[in-house]
Amino acid sequence: MKTNYLFPNRFKKIGWLLFIPGIILGIIFLMSQADIDFLNVKVFSIAEQPIFGKTVFFSITENNILDEIIGLLLIIGAILIAFSKEKSEDEFISKIRLESLVWATYINYAILIITIIFIYDMIFFWVLVFNMFTVLIFFIIRFNWALYKSKNQIRDEE
Amino acid sequence: MKNSIKVERAKKNITQAHLAELVKVSRQTINAIELGKYNLSTILALKIAHVFNQSVQDIFELEESDWES
Repeated sequence: MKTNYLFPNRFKKIGWLLFIPGIILGIIFLMSQADIDFLNVKVFSIAEQPIFGKTVFFSITENNILDEIIGLLLIIGAILIAFSKEKSEDEFISKIRLESLVWATYINYAILIITIIFIYDMIFFWVLVFNMFTVLIFFIIRFNWALYKSKNQIRDEE
Repeated sequence: MKNSIKVERAKKNITQAHLAELVKVSRQTINAIELGKYNLSTILALKIAHVFNQSVQDIFELEESDWES
């Protein structure tokens, strides 16, 4: 089927090669909170506001870029895993794709609604951080689970 | 919507996998259509009918429940 909004199948592997290091670095980052010295670099910033400070626009600032690297690995990796074509992408798989995307969006925002009502301060901030990635992760899980189920059904038929 | 793909396959001795290959979809898709779990596109219906040398209406048939929205 012709679709111009999906990546070619081979990008899925690249996605995993980015996503898995992202997860590993992410866990290390969360557990140690350590700054790795050589990742302290000067960066161009469109806007920043230090705690108790004034907002500064368009400046050069010093920043540890470990969290930036992790965020990019996770997002680009997950996008490539989620939106690369299956080996046999067809109309039925597109339907599963759409259903899974809607489902993942519902779950993601259901969690966010619960968070808004019941979670406060720094934990709220951390939920928002995770929320950047969860919609993609929920989609990947649900989509692959549905694909697996439809493949299993073939085996039942035989 | 009812369909007689399974019967037509049996007549021509074509497996799900072979039919899938002929109309360029995955095997899951043919399986889901046969089980009535997926309403296929017009293009795919025309292709399947073409493989069996029949018209679409010979293979796919409306059911009462299709008129309910």
